[in-house]
Amino acid sequence: MTPTTRTLLRAEGFSCPSCVRKIEKALDALPGVTGAQVHFETQRIEVDHDPQTTTAQDLVEAVAKVGYTARPSAF
Amino acid sequence: MSTLAVTRPGRTRARFTLSRRWRRPVVAGLLIAVSLVLAPEQLAHGTGHLVAAGLMLAAAVVAGLPIARDAIAALRVKTVGIDLLVATAAIGASLLGNFWEAAAVTFLFALGHGLEDATLSQTRSALADLVSTAPETAVVVDADGTQRTVPAHEVAPGATVLVKAGARVPVDGVVLTGVGAVDEASITGESIPAEKTDGDAVYAGTVATAGLLQVEARGVGADTTLARIIHRVEAAQEARARTQRFMDRFSRWYTPAIMVLAFATGLITRDVPLALTLLVIGCPGALVISIPVAIVAGIGRGAKDGVLIKGGEFLERSAKVDAVAVDKTGTLTSGTPELTDVVAFEPGAEDEVLRWAARLEAASDHPLAAPVVAAGRDRGLLDGPLATDVDVVLGRGLTGEVDGRVVAVGNVALLRERGVDPAATDRVETVAAELAEAGRTPVAVVVDGIPLGVLAIADTLRSEAAGMIRALHGIGVREVVMLTGDQPGVAQAVARQVGVDDVRAGLLPQDKLEAIEALQAEGRVVAMVGDGVNDAPALATADIGVAMGAAGSGVAIETADIALMGDRLERLPQALDLARRTVRVMRQNIAISLVTVVALLAGVFAGGVTMAVGMLVHEASVLLVIVNAMRLLRRPGQPRSTTSNSSRSAPVATGAGRPPCSAA
Repeated sequence: MTPTTRTLLRAEGFSCPSCVRKIEKALDALPGVTGAQVHFETQRIEVDHDPQTTTAQDLVEAVAKVGYTARPSAF
Repeated sequence: MSTLAVTRPGRTRARFTLSRRWRRPVVAGLLIAVSLVLAPEQLAHGTGHLVAAGLMLAAAVVAGLPIARDAIAALRVKTVGIDLLVATAAIGASLLGNFWEAAAVTFLFALGHGLEDATLSQTRSALADLVSTAPETAVVVDADGTQRTVPAHEVAPGATVLVKAGARVPVDGVVLTGVGAVDEASITGESIPAEKTDGDAVYAGTVATAGLLQVEARGVGADTTLARIIHRVEAAQEARARTQRFMDRFSRWYTPAIMVLAFATGLITRDVPLALTLLVIGCPGALVISIPVAIVAGIGRGAKDGVLIKGGEFLERSAKVDAVAVDKTGTLTSGTPELTDVVAFEPGAEDEVLRWAARLEAASDHPLAAPVVAAGRDRGLLDGPLATDVDVVLGRGLTGEVDGRVVAVGNVALLRERGVDPAATDRVETVAAELAEAGRTPVAVVVDGIPLGVLAIADTLRSEAAGMIRALHGIGVREVVMLTGDQPGVAQAVARQVGVDDVRAGLLPQDKLEAIEALQAEGRVVAMVGDGVNDAPALATADIGVAMGAAGSGVAIETADIALMGDRLERLPQALDLARRTVRVMRQNIAISLVTVVALLAGVFAGGVTMAVGMLVHEASVLLVIVNAMRLLRRPGQPRSTTSNSSRSAPVATGAGRPPCSAA
């Protein structure tokens, strides 16, 4: 079983704190994702996932589906 | 917001494209405007004017489509958000034939979002700017001299990196060879470029403005000061202040509560528009961002100036600080003692006096010895064999044999103990007292039992020290206390020069902790400024621990409650003032939000608040809260006084942590 990695995504357009909860739920629904945390203040999304099942690109697309643009970031 | 496009060779056609954020609101707004011109009665009731009605409906669709889409996307992940509420209200209004209400609500929502986006980007700009200074590539120089360009985070520690003028420094490191100027604003907040040469430290993310530097890489990628600052700012902005946690819990039940209320109201009063209006104001909106937006702005503003505050709680605590304890040596003073006076009892014998003292002191590592020895070396007085039979008398001074003569260097107590002629000792005492009055530490020089003269040693007072204390008083700090290991007489002289309210002198390191506790027992909220190494226990006891010059210390960045990256004293009052202003903004924002919610609810039930008005007031309150926080982003005003009264640095006595020598 491949170990989980933590991917950091930096997003745009966070203007409503209660609205960003749906990003967490969308990511949690993906297979291979063990945890997702969205930070409204800094527009960061931290996702623990199995990179083989769900790639960083998959994460980006899932976030786009609920209406936000995000990009993977090194730190 | 608009772009010019060249479409055919030889012919330019202007094409104005709106950035995505504004496209829909602008189109919808135009449709609404045209529709109202055609049939202004729509503001009050429906209209028979089909074109106008059609335009109004079109406006609602243009603005409302993305809202509906987001609402469905949220539903798919089982979330109910403001999008669903607004979409429901708009669709409901449309079904009732109220096209104006539907269009107004969706238009205002879309417009509000665009404005919120733009303003929130501004408040978040400090962090975004920091992240954008992260270096991407580095030029590595191999042993044989070839240059390779690699991603910045792949440089091996110990490798040599070339930094050319105009390039970003890619790693934390030490300059091996070369001379250059580096703009370190992103790290220290200082806008004047720093001169760098062999042995100087450089930081990743800073920009070399001139020169060429060869740097040995010490920290790479996540192990750089820049990464630590970014991490620290993010953690601080995300940390939940106590009031914020309350807000979060409140907002979690607010939306469902409003939905239930709307449903119940609809059932009971059968007034569907009323119920729909309740939905529109069902988002806690301004209330939930009241605090985060202030914290993001406040922490961000601080970071731009090289002031790192640990988070919301520390902001709140810093705002309450009404007493500041400052360690003298190294903070108020430059930390390097100097020889300031040589008083010889025999006219013209100054060099004699200094020679004996320097020859003896060369055998000591006491901080007071160094400046004497240095002065002696400068004047070429150090020739000859080392002193022998050197004996340190704690709290008094030093004795020994130089060239066969018995030499003693120390304070008046030492002289009395060694039975020096009382009349001569009195003379020494008078001179010593005068020097201490001036804030210098006097040291008597005795050869074969006869006092030859008195030396004076002082630690230069930093020119901004008095100004900083004035500024602290200016922002509301009631008590500024100087902590020092100095002898009381000398410490008092410094205190007078610099304007502190109180002095605790003669302190050993553990005494400093007690001094802090004593202040706290008086009911004060105490901030302590220290160098972190010797003062760690006292810094931990203080309510707010402030580390200065933190740029070089990873530990200070991570742990200090307030870390001042640069060395400028005026940043301290600025930091405390920023904390006070941020807390004020948080309180104002909460007040604005609460008043808006209550007013809206009352207005909806009392009548007169339509969906359009409700949305307008709601969006306006959110924007007001954000704009209020944006005031924190302004450049801090100059503190009351940034320079001390004297134009030259005034020398003051040194104590340097040793057991105090009692003055005459």
